[in-house]
Amino acid sequence: MDLRKYLPLFVSEAGEHLAAYAKDLVQVEKGVAAGADVRPIIDSLFRHAHSVKGMSASMELEGISALAHRAEDLVDVFRKDPSRLDAAAVDDLLAAGDALQAMIQASAGGDKPAADPAVLERLAETARRCRAGEPAAAPAPPPAPAPAAGPQPAPEPQRTAAAEPAAAVSAAPEPAPAAPPTRHRRLQIEVEIAGGCPVPAVRAFLVVKKLAGLGAVVKSSPGVEDLKAGRIPGKRLEVVLDTPEPVPVLERTLAQISDLTSVHVRSADAAAPAPAPAPAKPAPAADAAIEALRTVRVRTEILDEFLDSVGELILATARIRELGKMVPAPHRTGLVEGVDRLHAIVKDLHDKVMTVRMTPLALVTERLPRAGRDVARKVNKQVEVQVQGAEIELDRAILEELSDPLLHLIRNAIDHGIEPPHLRLLAGKPASGRITVQARRERDRVILEVADDGRGLDAAKLRAAAVARGALTDEAASLLSDREALLLACLPGLSTADAVTDVSGRGVGLDAVKRTVESIGGTLEIDSTPGQGARFTLRLPLTVAVQPVLLVRVGEEVLGLPIGKVHGAAQVALSSLDRTQGAPVLPYDGAMVPVHDLSRVLGFPEAAARDERAVVVAEAGEGARIGLAVDTLIGQQEAVLKPLGQPLEKVPGISAVTVLGNGRPVFILDVQRLGVA
Amino acid sequence: MPKRVLIVDDAIFMRNMIKDIFSGSGFEVVGEAANGLEAVEKFKELKPDLTTMDIVMPFKSGIEATREIIKQDAKAVIVMCSALGQESLVMEAIEAGASDFIVKPFKSEDVLSVVKKVLGDA
Repeated sequence: MDLRKYLPLFVSEAGEHLAAYAKDLVQVEKGVAAGADVRPIIDSLFRHAHSVKGMSASMELEGISALAHRAEDLVDVFRKDPSRLDAAAVDDLLAAGDALQAMIQASAGGDKPAADPAVLERLAETARRCRAGEPAAAPAPPPAPAPAAGPQPAPEPQRTAAAEPAAAVSAAPEPAPAAPPTRHRRLQIEVEIAGGCPVPAVRAFLVVKKLAGLGAVVKSSPGVEDLKAGRIPGKRLEVVLDTPEPVPVLERTLAQISDLTSVHVRSADAAAPAPAPAPAKPAPAADAAIEALRTVRVRTEILDEFLDSVGELILATARIRELGKMVPAPHRTGLVEGVDRLHAIVKDLHDKVMTVRMTPLALVTERLPRAGRDVARKVNKQVEVQVQGAEIELDRAILEELSDPLLHLIRNAIDHGIEPPHLRLLAGKPASGRITVQARRERDRVILEVADDGRGLDAAKLRAAAVARGALTDEAASLLSDREALLLACLPGLSTADAVTDVSGRGVGLDAVKRTVESIGGTLEIDSTPGQGARFTLRLPLTVAVQPVLLVRVGEEVLGLPIGKVHGAAQVALSSLDRTQGAPVLPYDGAMVPVHDLSRVLGFPEAAARDERAVVVAEAGEGARIGLAVDTLIGQQEAVLKPLGQPLEKVPGISAVTVLGNGRPVFILDVQRLGVA
Repeated sequence: MPKRVLIVDDAIFMRNMIKDIFSGSGFEVVGEAANGLEAVEKFKELKPDLTTMDIVMPFKSGIEATREIIKQDAKAVIVMCSALGQESLVMEAIEAGASDFIVKPFKSEDVLSVVKKVLGDA
């Protein structure tokens, strides 16, 4: 059988399992520290490892399967006794997950990667050690202090045996027999929501949550993220649940929920997940089949090409409209009507493509808690990263750009913001720092906030550092508001950190974050209260492809400026302006803005320039504004921006290109990189 | 014995309306609260069988209050009163432990049907 055709699906599905696996691990560790019942998470962890094992075995990728098998073995130790879990074991499992991810990527290229014997050995050794209840060899950082044992929120139905104290079984060579595992059944629950229910997705969400209280939700269709986004096609919900509860208990629970027109509970499987011999098809075949009927996987490149084509259609439509103006009047009406209709269809098509490209933020935030944990462990701090609003959707292109900036912000917050535990306690804060990543939708923007409760940024220190580096004069620094001064943290190479660590280099991160965010049409703001923390606010467009631009004429050329960068414009006689150091300055909005002749900046051939000019005041980075003298303002237009290919992308000062209705290409200026700011 | 209800809403009008729905139907309204802070206090004091909870309220949101009440009493029955367009908040409340929800504007029979079901009396 030719397995190659399954490869893309295998790579994407196994990757998803591993992402969830890493997420579960971080949660388990947190749960253990807080004294919570982590069994459901460990079960889920086990299932992910198990799925990867089964899938890779079916793909005849023995190396991946072997490593997944070892990881599964180790998780199994904790499934039997969660108290054996420690930070060192979590490290090993995370490392295994990373290795698996790398191997799966390698397999995408047709390789059959072998497992690293050292990693295999390490997992086996850790499994042996944890089974025996021995502590890790290297001293692990102290776990977060457990809160005073409060009442368990959920009643534990039948917790057969409490975990034995580790010391009592230190010599047990056999896998700890612990308690006989409760027999879980796998049930499939199908629910139909009443047609009159105004919020069926919320109703379905409630059903999933109630079921989760009775066992482990193996699968929900639509998934929880879809429900959170309000999607529930056909108002039908299917849940696969592993539960020790008898069916009547389930039915009674569901009977307490309103607005359900039908409820069906049936056995989905004879037994709960037992390591079955590698099946011919990927492991969770039944579930996958159900899901496959509802969704289609499309390679993201195809979506990119799709969008490109629709962009071309928009441009072509605009071009036909232009040409139509030359058609003699008697024939024109019909043509205009046709073009209007075409335009509406194309616009609708464009909207649909954009919807398809929308992807939940979870794609990039999922790994943040894990990344935060790793960084914190490296620098001996305690940090919890929380993500809210991960269901909010953005265009893929934006999401892909966001990944690095978010990681940078988290690293920065842990390295420079969050204090070491002893300092936090002295300051009256909990030993463990908290970073929240919060997303919300505001009209056509997504606001993404990364806030920490660390020491915060000090505007005065930043001013002093900027002056010391010669980036600003004393006077200029003192003129900055505190908020503006905080943005100085984004100057390349500027840092007030007392020490440089290998986690985040000096100032480089924030500089890159700001540039990336702006390159996708977003803005970055910083707020901080010294001693209490800092907040980085990213305002992002939902999509990048269509952006409003201001078109200007310079000599023979038409150029575009992203509207987001334009503060305003004025019509002035250049000779009437005051001059500072030989350059004209325009009084604008209470400040003096230096004015540059755009034609000269771009090195266009000198022409007899008129004195009466339009000056566009634009953002030139770090809060600086410049005026660009142009011949005329043409107006604002929605433009489909296309990235520049080689070698044009090397030209400083232009960032993209668009094509006007008359077929003319127009370059979009990158004001910050014009070289005049 | 009639079931005892605590009504939480920052609008007096809404509280009165909900009170009327319950009073005429064999429930006993034992208390009212106008914000999340009060809700948590009143819950502690009254131990109602059922609490109706508005979501957006001053001082402390209904979600926060729900979280705190559930922490005190995991079996507390809390029904969220939400407006259309607050779906994500309702889901947050469900995650915090709310038992069910009703969507404004509501009809009295809808409210009673949800409440009776959630109390297992239907």
